[in-house]
Amino acid sequence: MDLLLAAAQVALAPAALLAVVAGTLLGVVFGAIPGLTFTVAMALVVPMSFSLDTAPAIGLLLGTYIGGMTGGSVSAILVGIPGTPSAAATVLDGYQLTRRGKASLALGTAVVASAFGGIVSLIVMVVSVDMVAKLALRFGPAETFGLLLFGLSTICGLAQKSLVKGLISGILGLLVMTIGIDEMEGVQRLTFGTIVLQQGVSLLVAMIALFAVPHVIDAFVKYYTGERKVEAVADVRAELPTIRDILRDFWLMLRCALLGTGIGAIPGTGGPIAAFLAYAHARKSSKRPERFGKGEMAGVVAPETANNAVTGGAMIPLLSLGIPGDPATAILLSGLLIHGLIPGPMLFLQNPGEIYQIYLAIIVAYIAVVAIQLLGIRFFVQVLRVPAHLLAVGIIIMCAYGAFAIRNSVFDVVSVGVLGAMAYGLTRVGIPLTPIILGLVLGPSIEREFRTAMILSEGDPSVFVASIPGAVFLGLAALVVGAQVLRAARATLSARRTEEKSRASVTPSE
Amino acid sequence: MNTRIFASVALVAAMAVGIGGQARAEFPEKPVEMTILFGSTAQTIGQLLADLMSKHMPEPVVPVSRPGGGGAVGYQYVHGMPADGYNIVWNSNSISTGYHNGGIPFDFNAFQPIAKISVEVPAFAVRADSGWNSLSDMAADIKASGQKLKIGASGKGSFTHLTTEAILAAMGLSDMAVHVPYDQGRAPVELIAGRLDAALQWPGQFISHHEAGTLKILCVTSAKRISQLPDIPTCAESGADGMDIVMWRGLAAPAGTPEDVIVKLEAAAKAAAESDAFKQAAQTIGFEIDFADHAAFGELIARDDKAIADLMGQLGMKAQ
Repeated sequence: MDLLLAAAQVALAPAALLAVVAGTLLGVVFGAIPGLTFTVAMALVVPMSFSLDTAPAIGLLLGTYIGGMTGGSVSAILVGIPGTPSAAATVLDGYQLTRRGKASLALGTAVVASAFGGIVSLIVMVVSVDMVAKLALRFGPAETFGLLLFGLSTICGLAQKSLVKGLISGILGLLVMTIGIDEMEGVQRLTFGTIVLQQGVSLLVAMIALFAVPHVIDAFVKYYTGERKVEAVADVRAELPTIRDILRDFWLMLRCALLGTGIGAIPGTGGPIAAFLAYAHARKSSKRPERFGKGEMAGVVAPETANNAVTGGAMIPLLSLGIPGDPATAILLSGLLIHGLIPGPMLFLQNPGEIYQIYLAIIVAYIAVVAIQLLGIRFFVQVLRVPAHLLAVGIIIMCAYGAFAIRNSVFDVVSVGVLGAMAYGLTRVGIPLTPIILGLVLGPSIEREFRTAMILSEGDPSVFVASIPGAVFLGLAALVVGAQVLRAARATLSARRTEEKSRASVTPSE
Repeated sequence: MNTRIFASVALVAAMAVGIGGQARAEFPEKPVEMTILFGSTAQTIGQLLADLMSKHMPEPVVPVSRPGGGGAVGYQYVHGMPADGYNIVWNSNSISTGYHNGGIPFDFNAFQPIAKISVEVPAFAVRADSGWNSLSDMAADIKASGQKLKIGASGKGSFTHLTTEAILAAMGLSDMAVHVPYDQGRAPVELIAGRLDAALQWPGQFISHHEAGTLKILCVTSAKRISQLPDIPTCAESGADGMDIVMWRGLAAPAGTPEDVIVKLEAAAKAAAESDAFKQAAQTIGFEIDFADHAAFGELIARDDKAIADLMGQLGMKAQ
């Protein structure tokens, strides 16, 4: 208790508080602007944190991370472009809600769900960091492969009308991510002997291209063909969700928060995967799954709760084992190292005070996020008043800059253009983009885990079912795929039967 | 502060001269860009170094991250810039590994060394319950049992992988091991979980687990023990005779950069490397400060390049 009070004195000192709030604000702004992500924001603040004391430095970095994670939902909901990859699932229903004039309601719900997810994951971390870390240790490459495959099979059921088109799209996503140097064997793939292609396509760049460019082209096309929409401007109220609205989805939020924490704790996964899994779960468990994709609030609540729960989940292996789960936590790790905090089992014994400071900084950051976003909603929604073609100009500038800023590479800007034009072409021929995103997000992880598991077992495939978690997840994946195939087959059969019947009923009447 | 005032006075004086007569502008008259090739530790040290060098130069040194292709992207960028000292690269042995595996079309001669700054020494760790106290123990056990040793490092052709292979060769275990490539520092965790028998990574990733007793660091690959782990023997002491492999980091500019510019950058780098802030960071991040001037650095790079070429040749990984 003394330790907690002492930590509170440090973590709640004006300088530390200011650092957390400043970081959160920066994170929200970077997260909210399409093209700019919190990974870029964190890379910017790391040098600043060098000269700060430990508590403000950690606060600044954590604030940026958390602010960015929630900020991503703002542009996802308002303009249909996720501010961060983790908010990609939020677009599916969030943007539809905006089109139905419920933008501020969706934004308010998203930020409350985010904070809820973050705080639940923090509680799980505080209570059971050792246990969760031990559980995470049992997830080796084979088990993680099983989990990812199960995830893929669940998510595949999302919004696919045509199986073939869905598969085409998913495989394109997988192909794009193989470009570059294969980090495991060091061989070049699809680089055509050039150096620029060796850097490969960054996930962030692909995300910007897939979401922002078709949106921008569409806006321009509509402007020049005179097809202007007026209704979008009409409804820009700042309507906040009531407590009752939020409590209605309480159990869903709790389940998604736990799911996100679990996914975050397993190395090799991350925010986007958790968000899509939560979305799929929400749709499965909903009483009215047909309303998903058309503007269902649960479709915003689930991914936003889960992707923020990942922040707390990812802190578990970071602090207790010293492994960063994604680029953002890797930056956090270097920030901790430079202040003499070496993550690992000894951190909890040697620096318990700093651990409490981290916990408190997370809580402060979430309070700041809720305050900033709820205050900001009335300003955010003004974006909807901007005519679509003018907004598109702003978006394309921010996306070009954002793509460049990730790795200071002109190649990435060109990639956004090329991939974006391709994505627009795909939408024109009716190929859905969601499976591409799943391919992008899950492809590299699945490939890496599969290959590592096979190397470890020296080529023996039984490794995937040798452990209980592995066998369970593979079994579930098989079940999900089997059920889907069965349902699809039955649907085709009954369609054929009704067709025959209708034909049969036509013939005798003549 | 004094240096700043002095520098601005000098700058004003230079400008006055510039207006009066015509003198060549003093280097630097605009910010110097330091290209950083990798993330994590390399990036953190590079950013700190740039920050500290800025305090000893009239113009700031700006760290710019250009990752990708195992360093190839950043090397290519700096290589294509004018040789005027305004573009420098935070380099490492990766120039040699990248060239010899065919990822980079030019070798270390494309760059003019400025100064060597630091070295990082990989550590070799095994499971806590392995019962091995030295590399010799491990080798004897593996040879007796005939079981293959599963050893984790970064991807094929990476520096930690090459170091791993060198240790295995020294212990006569080259055919008795399976190299498992991991990214993002997952190898230590896989070792703790018992899926690996050994792992070679940077000490910072092992220290906390070593102290907690969940794994055991057997040795470090340098010729001398390192300050972060004074009680851990070197790999040479542990059974791998003559083992001395370290990852150096330093600064370089495109070949043809004028000598006086190199000397100025070297002086700023030296002042930064000797500062207290850098020394403290060395302890917490886990690297050894090992400054060398541009001449000595150049010799080291050439020597190291040959060693890496030989090693990669033996492993059949040499492309050019």
